[in-house]
Amino acid sequence: MTETHDSTPETPCLPGGLIPMDEWEFPELSVRRSVKDAVRHISVQLKEGVSRKDQPFQSLDDLPELSARQRQLIAPDPDFSVLAATLADELQQRRRELPNPQDVSFLVAPPFSGMREALVRCSWKTIGQGQGDGSEWIIAPPKSLLMSDEDAAQWWNEQDLSRPWVIPELADFWLRHMRGLALVRELFRRISDGKAGQGVVGCSSWCWQFWASYVPDMPSAPCTPAPLNSDYLGQWLEYLPGDEGSGPLVARMAHDGLYVLPARGRLDGNKIRRSSFLSDLAAASRGNHGVALALWRSALRAAPEEGAEDSGESESSRSRCCWVVPLDKLSLPAMPSSKDRAIGFVLHALLLHDGLDEESLFLVAGISRKDTANALALLKRADIIHYSDAGNRWHVTDLAYPNTRRHLLSWGFPVDRF
Amino acid sequence: MEDLGLKEVVSTISSQALGEALVVVMVAIAIIILTRKLLPALAGRLSGKPRLYLLASVPLIRLLVIVATIIIVVPILIEPSFENMVAMFGALGLVLGFAFKDYVNSLLAGIVILYEMPYRPGDWIQVDDHYGEVRSIGARAAEIVTPDDSVVVVPHNKLWNALLANGNGGTDNLMCVAKFHLEPNHDVRQVLNLLRDVAFTSPYTRTWQPVVVVVQNEPWGMLYRLKAYPLEPQEQFRYISDLTARGADVLAEAGVGFVSAPVTGG
Repeated sequence: MTETHDSTPETPCLPGGLIPMDEWEFPELSVRRSVKDAVRHISVQLKEGVSRKDQPFQSLDDLPELSARQRQLIAPDPDFSVLAATLADELQQRRRELPNPQDVSFLVAPPFSGMREALVRCSWKTIGQGQGDGSEWIIAPPKSLLMSDEDAAQWWNEQDLSRPWVIPELADFWLRHMRGLALVRELFRRISDGKAGQGVVGCSSWCWQFWASYVPDMPSAPCTPAPLNSDYLGQWLEYLPGDEGSGPLVARMAHDGLYVLPARGRLDGNKIRRSSFLSDLAAASRGNHGVALALWRSALRAAPEEGAEDSGESESSRSRCCWVVPLDKLSLPAMPSSKDRAIGFVLHALLLHDGLDEESLFLVAGISRKDTANALALLKRADIIHYSDAGNRWHVTDLAYPNTRRHLLSWGFPVDRF
Repeated sequence: MEDLGLKEVVSTISSQALGEALVVVMVAIAIIILTRKLLPALAGRLSGKPRLYLLASVPLIRLLVIVATIIIVVPILIEPSFENMVAMFGALGLVLGFAFKDYVNSLLAGIVILYEMPYRPGDWIQVDDHYGEVRSIGARAAEIVTPDDSVVVVPHNKLWNALLANGNGGTDNLMCVAKFHLEPNHDVRQVLNLLRDVAFTSPYTRTWQPVVVVVQNEPWGMLYRLKAYPLEPQEQFRYISDLTARGADVLAEAGVGFVSAPVTGG
């Protein structure tokens, strides 16, 4: 991956912009970190059972946490409209650069990257491929995804593909079931035949992993957001709260006072001593925007430890200052121990489809309703999954995602490459 | 034996040296037993590659311990001069060669197995009519556990003259084959596609590994073989059952029947 030290990134809401998927690399990879992670993972597997009290998320330090309002000020959700506009610019630029741009662009990203939320807000006026007459539209999946090839062809015939279109998340268009593949299969067939018009398809990396195996000669070169390394992460975390005229956001380690932010290494013209927290965060989150933000929020504190170097008297006058605990002080959701395969099937199905309702989960996971319900209850207790009332779906939580991916990998499940 | 000078060599061994050697040997035996018990138990709690690596390390650790023990014990017992070594190993070779020919044969094959690794703990192998997972590799024989939970002891000297099939070869990739014996006169391409989908929609499938369906015309109809990889080698039978059940459902829906009894021969 290309390291960047630009002081003024061109795309602060998407540092590094979009890159070809083949160029994605794990951020901040080091032998020491890899070995440490592997040993920790194996030791967790070897431990017999997890005590109930350890299952939900809890902090291992006793420092005061930020109030919800302060946390929202320092680490707010990204503005997905701005991200949508940036994506549009990036896609347009890529189309200009490619000698033979394809009519349909694929944007593949790991869960929690915010691509779905941004593409929902995407407009062809901003993408610049269409005429910008407001005729752009977002294709929504049908209510039932189980259908025959003929029904799928008919459904796509009813969609107006002559107008530029956007599919925010391809995972919403299929189920891993004998009758649940037809819609996406038909879409890929039309794209290959050049009969799908102009479009942008957002696709979860897990969904893509399945379909890239199912359709190995897929005529597409997908792009993906650049992974957040420590530099990109610093720029992004500084960008999120915005600059409200109250000076730069200052974040320092709660135990030793080293600086996490500002990322440029200078404050008020003076050089500051940087912590390695951002490198650790980039590695722990696998360069994933949403996961990094969730970990960042969990690590924020209102006050430092007693005796921390230069314990913040100089920072107390700053309106935007916070303290950060090291990642190993955070007790992240632990995978419940179970000899049953059921929790693996449930988690894999949820990631493959970017969330599922219970009925669809039963169709996909290949286990009984009772086992499905038991696995859901077990995983919910451990804060590995949560139920979204808005979408009536079960999802893997952002804090549990890295651990979940690691477990699925060790259990032999197909995982994404991010 | 006298010609080999063994008597002189043995006469120089003191009782104290013998005691020390005995302690070293006992410690080595304890380490080997501990390794044989502890590592497989730990491996049982892991899955994937770590499990295989841990299982495969058991015979290697044993070999290292044996070699180290010999290196430590021999100088304790005798002065390691060239003559003494020739005397000792020559005499031992003669005794073992005549008295325990087959046993030594298996021991030697066991050493060759550690070097060539035709099978390792965790591998699924077929020797003669026996198919199962290699549970442990001892000095003389390997133990495999069949799908019916029987333990079959396979002497290592089988390696010299028996055909040995290894399903996964030290990896966790083990191809499974589900067979479908179908009546003739159906749309072959449709069935090929349906069976491929069967594998891709099974939650047990490693989708990044190849999924292949082959068909062959038989006198009684068509034989389809659906080849794919399960998530874990231990799940192969459950996986084949899953593929077969899903395939049967799909084929019934497509109106393609199974032959009730394949007719063999012309």
